[in-house]
Amino acid sequence: MADAAGRVIRRTEYILLAATAILFVVGLMAGDTFFFRLATESLIFGGLALAVDLLLGIVGLLSLGQALYFGFGAYVSALLLKEVAPSFWLATGAVLAASAVVGYLSSFIALRSKGVYFALITFGLAQVAAKTVYNTRELGASDGIIGIPIVVIGTPFGGLDTANAPVFFLVTLGVIALLYGLTKYLLATPMGGIWHAVRANEARLPFIGFDTLGPKRAAFTLAAMIAAVSGALYPMLRGFVSPELLYFSTSGNAVVTVVLGGVGTLIGPLFGSALLTGLRSVIGTWTEHHQILIGLIFVAVVVLAPRGIVGIAIERAKRRAGEQI
Amino acid sequence: MKLKKAVIAVCALMGTVAVHAAEPIKIGVVTPLSGTYAPIGQQVRWGLDLAVKEINAAGGVMGRQIELLYEDEEANPAVATQKAEKLFQVSKVDFLTGTVNSGSTLAVGQLAERNNRLIATTVSFADSITGDKCSPNVFRVNARAGMQSAALAEWLAKEKPKANVFFIGPDYEMGRSTVAAFKKAAEAKGAKTVGEVFAPLDNKDYSPFFGQIRAAKPNVIYTSVAGNDTVRLFTQMSEYGVNRNVTIVGASGTVTSQNLSAIGKAAEGFVTGVGYSPKLDTPENKKFVAAFQAAYKALPDLYGADSYGVLYFYKAAAEKAGSVDTDKVRGAMRDLEWSTPQGRKKMRAGDHQAMQEMYAVTVRNGQFDIIGKVSAEAAVGPDACTRF
Repeated sequence: MADAAGRVIRRTEYILLAATAILFVVGLMAGDTFFFRLATESLIFGGLALAVDLLLGIVGLLSLGQALYFGFGAYVSALLLKEVAPSFWLATGAVLAASAVVGYLSSFIALRSKGVYFALITFGLAQVAAKTVYNTRELGASDGIIGIPIVVIGTPFGGLDTANAPVFFLVTLGVIALLYGLTKYLLATPMGGIWHAVRANEARLPFIGFDTLGPKRAAFTLAAMIAAVSGALYPMLRGFVSPELLYFSTSGNAVVTVVLGGVGTLIGPLFGSALLTGLRSVIGTWTEHHQILIGLIFVAVVVLAPRGIVGIAIERAKRRAGEQI
Repeated sequence: MKLKKAVIAVCALMGTVAVHAAEPIKIGVVTPLSGTYAPIGQQVRWGLDLAVKEINAAGGVMGRQIELLYEDEEANPAVATQKAEKLFQVSKVDFLTGTVNSGSTLAVGQLAERNNRLIATTVSFADSITGDKCSPNVFRVNARAGMQSAALAEWLAKEKPKANVFFIGPDYEMGRSTVAAFKKAAEAKGAKTVGEVFAPLDNKDYSPFFGQIRAAKPNVIYTSVAGNDTVRLFTQMSEYGVNRNVTIVGASGTVTSQNLSAIGKAAEGFVTGVGYSPKLDTPENKKFVAAFQAAYKALPDLYGADSYGVLYFYKAAAEKAGSVDTDKVRGAMRDLEWSTPQGRKKMRAGDHQAMQEMYAVTVRNGQFDIIGKVSAEAAVGPDACTRF
């Protein structure tokens, strides 16, 4: 990635980290619970947006059904925590393994097509899964599953209580930072290079001797795993899961978050998620027409800053450095 | 209003204790204000607003005014819990109501439990809320699905003893469980099942099922399809003459004021069990309907009536407890009797389900007429809650 872009992304990372640290201290001093939990939720949905950005912004595949893997992670985690054992490591470990399998298998269906057909297939897969969960009595059907116990995360340094809002916020921050770091690391590998190349011109890659399907499959599986692990944290935060987590509104919101934050920047989606979750909470209390306002903001961003908020900062930095946009 | 202000001013002069007593009681309302369920949320809002206006004008609860804080839950439990948490944690509401779909009520109920607050639903009818998933912090003032089935089964046993019933349900979990619940209630009262079919949601053509229905020779058809599916099913049944000499009964959501005009004549004679009708001939209800119509230029439905009643339920409980403390109010709510437009209701202590008279209504000239009444004790069914 070009230098100017890298610098802007690095700077955004620092700004987000500093803002988080300041707000964390302020929140601790105020003895707050709600805003910590809201921030935790924005990180969880930020993880889902990160998965969408990996596909859309890096590989160039628009997934309209990423909520399928998010919901899958949430349901597997919920069932394990409730029926087997309230263990953080069991739940996240099992979700990681299971989502790798599910993501790999569904890549055979989804990657048969490209462009708008890929978007439709991912959308369709998620709808099928959502309807199935909605009609399965064993999974709580339309009511979802409640009564997921509060988890105490066992670590060598003692237990971390997920009911403690600041503690669970830090845990979530750690998990999402790990997922972010891993994705960023992979982008620097040869595989990451091919991902960028697929987005730029997939047809030309075979001519220079590269297979594209394998790397695409890897990206798809990785995106499924990121979404699922983020989803696995949801029942630990809220104590329930419901089929709405698999609905298109969840997938669609993730795409909106990515576009708002900055497609292909990876940090943009996390930034966008924090922004949108905060805005929704404030505007929702203020007026019942919050959907219209959020929609207007989205339209404004798409028209004025089509590359998103982080994207526009990158654009400006590149112009200043005299690089090609 | 002037008098009220004067009273508050006097109280303020009397010292800090009095000022504290005049602080409003905050009640959170998490209800769908946008999306598919917005019309239900609208009725909830009208009912609550009307009750607050009346209660505050009459001096409030223990001298304290009630303040309602609304949040849009978008009929999504994930949104509802977040909004409810804001009301509990930031706005510090004393009580919460308004949730519509059962998933939201269950999830918010669990949140209330973890925040040590009380909630009441005025709309959700899934039996599980006061059954196997009951919570000590959740109350239900409206009739649950089982009570509607029981009322209808009771009416059926009286008017059509030993009926041969054919069931047509929509093929999804809720449709199947509604059919199963009514089948159990009806068979317990002596009805016989002569067949059942489940048609896909959004089914366009019901005629393939009609042969099966004719062969089974039912004298009663029960259905739990809803929305536009009802329109197609009823018009096709009447075109094919399947409904000739057959009484059609169904779930309370099958024929509603929303799809009644689209079904037209084919809906005539349809019978269902409900917990409220604006046509109830009692002085309380007449007063309520008149005030509701004057304020909003619309008739109240069961959601509006139950939401109106929930504030009187809270008022009665808080005044009996002499406090808004969670444990004291919960204690007062148990076995509480209070009056609503539907008449006296009683909150059963064992499962937090309100007991009320139920009605069998039929469609006559495009309106719902009350044709039967079932006592609260007969309709409410056994207490299935084992958690408290």
